[in-house]
Parts: sequence; structure tokens; C-alpha cells
Amino acid sequence: MILVTIGTMLPFDRLVRAVDRWAGEHTEEEVVAQIGERGEYEPKNMRWMRLAAPDEFAAMVDRSRLLIAHAGTGSFLLAAERARPLVLFPRRAAFREHTSDHQLQTARWLREKAGVYVAMTEDELPGAIAAALARPDIAVEALPRYAPAPFVERIRKALLE
Amino acid sequence: MRKVLAVASGGGHWADLCRLYPAFSGMDVAFVSVHPNYARQVDGHRFYTMRDVSRFDRWGVFLLLPQLVRIILKERPDVVITTGSAPALFALALAKVLVRAKTIWIDDIANVEQLSMSGSLARHVADVWLTQWPGLQTEQGPEYWGAVL
Repeated sequence: MILVTIGTMLPFDRLVRAVDRWAGEHTEEEVVAQIGERGEYEPKNMRWMRLAAPDEFAAMVDRSRLLIAHAGTGSFLLAAERARPLVLFPRRAAFREHTSDHQLQTARWLREKAGVYVAMTEDELPGAIAAALARPDIAVEALPRYAPAPFVERIRKALLE
Repeated sequence: MRKVLAVASGGGHWADLCRLYPAFSGMDVAFVSVHPNYARQVDGHRFYTMRDVSRFDRWGVFLLLPQLVRIILKERPDVVITTGSAPALFALALAKVLVRAKTIWIDDIANVEQLSMSGSLARHVADVWLTQWPGLQTEQGPEYWGAVL
């Protein structure tokens, strides 16, 4: 199963629509999408919900073999935590998908990581999904649960001073 | 005991803050974020929900500000720390004015090539003003001390 998630704050119809189109052309693959409270486009070729309960969402991640998500840090941390490959699609300010184009920066940074595939446009999405599915053995590498100790220690000192 | 108010909006901002959790050990910490279901991730601590705001939702500020005033006057923190975004900027400013708290802004790690707009404005209200990318550090600030990843 492929799980699509767009974050919890702003809608991201362009990604939902692009994956829905892909799902229509790949009916052999089960695709499930969490489209957010304010998404206007309702998918036709995949199962979808607005916002899954945390437990339900965790169960869906468990069942998934690939995550497709907006290019937020949270997407990357989720994929790392659950050892899944990840396709990232950045939100663009020009389409009012976010307040700035910082997800382009995030995508350029994270695309260097193993198991991360970036589609900058709708046209690049099928290629990125294919590349990810072709390498099921490569997932985003697990991370320690907390920030590196020297950084934590310095923040701690600043809190106490 | 040191009283800390730890504030972050949703998604990556909250994830960044949670990755700093060991920095709070032995302190009296209350958390503030935008989704009530985040509370379970900081079990055992006081948790408050605030209204999320952005440049798409300027009117939300009128709901956010009274929420923050109530939280800050109730908690009276010695120090407020945040990993963004816009609502947290208001939290730092209010905490400074209302209870003269020390304020720490850590710009979100997602801002790789330039600071967020809130992060740039934070220079006016943050006693400690940090970026998570060495390339964004300048003589006039922000400083780079490390990153959550």
C-alpha cells in the first residue's frame, strides 16, 4: 500500500490530484490518502480521509511500503522513524500552498538522503514513485530519537542561565 | 525549579521541539502547540493548545493573543523556548513584556537557505537567536549552535 499525507495545516490539492491520477493508471496498487481538513479535491481512484486519528494513521504507516508527502521535515522524520522510502513533493507559495517557498529548500536538502525521492512538479511524480518502488530495500535511515547531545547540552545551559 | 514554557506550532516545528526533550530534564516544563492530540507525546507535563496563525489567517491573531496572555500569566515562565512558527513569535514577545522571561528562538531546520519570515523577525524579541544551518549564521546573528538532526 502507498500512503499519501499532506501535513495537517494547509490543503495540498495539487499533490492529491497528481497521486489520484497516478492511482487511476496503476489500479494494481492500493493507495490511501490523508487529504487534510480543507482539501477541496476529492480523490476518485484512491481511498481517502480528511484526518485520521493518530492510532489509525500509525496503523496505515505500518501497512504502507511507500510514503508520498509534502516536503516538510515531519514527513522525513516519519519515514526515518518507520523505515519507509519517501517521495517528497514541495508546496509552492505561488499556488498559495504555503506562505513561502521553503519546501523547495527542504526538498533540495533531503533529496541527498538515501530512500528519499523528490518530484519538483506533477510531471516528475510518476518517475519518482517508480524509482522508489524499484528499490524496496532502501528506506530512509533510522535516526536517534533525540537531537545530538552537544546541541541538547548547549540549549540546556541557555535554559538554566 | 526553573520554569520553562516550550512552544511550537504543528508538524516539523513540533517535531523539532520534541527532539530537544532531554534538554528540559529536571525543569518544570509546560508545552504549547496547536493540536490537542500532541499532549500524549509529552505525558506528565502541562499542555496547552493555541490557535495556529499564518499570513493566510491574520484574523486568528485575535483568538491567539488572549490565549497566549492567559497561558503566560498562569505559567509565569523564567524562560520561553520555541522552534517556530508565527504564533510562537507572539508568545516570545508577550512573555518578554508580561513576565520578562528569557526568550530563545530556534529557527526551524526546514529553513535551509534562508531564515523563515518569523525567524527574521525573532531577532527583535529573542535573547538567544539561533539558526540550525551554519551557512545562515552571521556576525549580527542568528547564531548556529547545532541542529536537531
